Amino acid sequence: MTRSFKFIDHTADIAFDLEGDSLEELFIASAEAFKISVTDFKCGEIFDSIEIELTANSKEELLVNFLNEINFYLTTKKWLCCSVDSIKIFIDENYLELSAELSGIKLNPEIELKQEIKSVTYHQMKIEQKNKFYNTRVVFDI
Amino acid sequence: MNVSGIELLKIRENLWEIPPTGKMNVPGRIYISPKMIEKHLRDDEALKQVANVAHLPGIQKYSLAMPDIHWGYGFPIGGVAATDLDNGVISPGGVGYDINCGVRLAKTNLELNSVQKRINKLVTNLFNAVPTGVGASGAIKKLSTADLKKVLRNGSTWAVENNLGSSEDVSFTEENGTLKNADPDMVSSRAFERGADQVGTLGSGNHFLEIDVVEEIYDDAAANVFGIFHGQIVVQIHTGSRGLGYQVCDDYLKILLQASNKYAFDLPDRQLACAPIKSKEGQDYLAAMQAAANFAWNNRQVIMHLAKKVFKETFNQSDSELGFNLVYDVCHNIAKIEKHKINGIEKEVCVHRKGATRAFPPGSKMIPLKYQSVGQPVLIPGDMGRYSFVAVGTEKAMEETFGSSCHGAGRNLSRKKAMKNSKGRNLVEELKQKGIVIQAKGYRTIAEEMPGAYKDVADVVEVMHKEGITKKVAKLRPLGVIKG
Repeated sequence: MTRSFKFIDHTADIAFDLEGDSLEELFIASAEAFKISVTDFKCGEIFDSIEIELTANSKEELLVNFLNEINFYLTTKKWLCCSVDSIKIFIDENYLELSAELSGIKLNPEIELKQEIKSVTYHQMKIEQKNKFYNTRVVFDI
Repeated sequence: MNVSGIELLKIRENLWEIPPTGKMNVPGRIYISPKMIEKHLRDDEALKQVANVAHLPGIQKYSLAMPDIHWGYGFPIGGVAATDLDNGVISPGGVGYDINCGVRLAKTNLELNSVQKRINKLVTNLFNAVPTGVGASGAIKKLSTADLKKVLRNGSTWAVENNLGSSEDVSFTEENGTLKNADPDMVSSRAFERGADQVGTLGSGNHFLEIDVVEEIYDDAAANVFGIFHGQIVVQIHTGSRGLGYQVCDDYLKILLQASNKYAFDLPDRQLACAPIKSKEGQDYLAAMQAAANFAWNNRQVIMHLAKKVFKETFNQSDSELGFNLVYDVCHNIAKIEKHKINGIEKEVCVHRKGATRAFPPGSKMIPLKYQSVGQPVLIPGDMGRYSFVAVGTEKAMEETFGSSCHGAGRNLSRKKAMKNSKGRNLVEELKQKGIVIQAKGYRTIAEEMPGAYKDVADVVEVMHKEGITKKVAKLRPLGVIKG
């Protein structure tokens, strides 16, 4: 299980490159990059978890949906996703399903949010597999 | 001249053309000075995006860009494109995630000396009254679904009906604050949830509420008609449709990506996903986008009401003494059905303005009667440390840019570089030395939004002034700023 993310300098918004030795690891890396983009808060012990299920017609659409789901929980449910505990992605040609368990914490005054992510974009997003590693770039509109 | 691999032909001193190549349906045209091309476009993908937009089915005349052009999603920021209603498309990439992000300018009877003495208190009171920051909420009570539907259908009229504004405010708002074909039933339940408690909130990023003094008047006649005078205190509000608008864009981007495949459009960028305007997908997006636009107008109206209340309390003045009234409210992220001349014949087209402001001329029936002698006010905010401008629309804008002009400065530095440049500096103190008081949710926002992080908006405004697309009316200098 190997994954990584690296932020790229971007004039207006936030961009990062992701890598993972499976599609699931790539998605976990994206959630980790999302959290660092919005807060420096260290979550510590987590008591709260939620389950999500998503569908899409491409890997890119699934990743956009996944990160937008995490963003929805943050901005609307006031709940910060700290980690992805389990994740499963099912692919049948052009139909993809994702189920995941996310751990997180209700927002409180100790959690300082750095910025509002309007949305996750498709810009420069292309999930490819090279040398057994999946990789893509992700750009947030902020 | 070749810029970032794109060939630019000089048409006039500040107007450049990208000749059609490949599958471009029309040429691209960019209003920009040679100095700005060298400074801002050499390492930017924005010109390529102007060329990409020219691929849209049914695009009319040119894929245009204003001088504040910079890289965006699908369309560049500062992009304008009109599409034919019968065989053209509508694209969320030509509107943006923040549907009807825009600016409103309110005037007062106050002058500089009376405000300077109380500026700290005034900024603090405004900061406490208008929620700012990530997911900001709670300016007014959380709206029920029924009330939110009314907001989406009626725009800023909802605020007036709920004693949060006057009918005069509505009459000085673009489209009278309501796009009539908005359909709340085309907006998802998730978008409703995101917007329910965000009416009257600024949000974060480059959104702001700013107290300015009118520092310079360039056009006495227009300023007089707008009710603006030298030394006057005015207020700018810059925000949009908040989470509700972002969600509408997300929802319909998915639908229009599928539609692009269904209609076999050959597009160079997925963020240009689109559908024929008259298709079900196109009509549904148009109705939902209009609903989000109405939310945004109502949002700025409620914020203005909250700001007015703070001014009244801080200065202990009545409505008539204070004269806190709307000059105008313009949107700069929108797609609208408008009448324009194409090859000498007037017809309806869908004008996408993504980071561009409508700039209608004198005599236009689409602007308030009071302004028809001079033209529509065009509001162009700059950064929080320098200045903003009020301009006015012209007939030339109708002839060349589908009645559009620039919308702001645009970033010059990434947020990371801005943070780096602010290290070891006390930006709050630096702004204070310049006579500007700022309050924000955190110091980080101040650092990221520091004046040096933005281009000089005067360069942008000057291009449109010299080209005769908009004429300068007044320059505003900031005194107090609140940000997310």
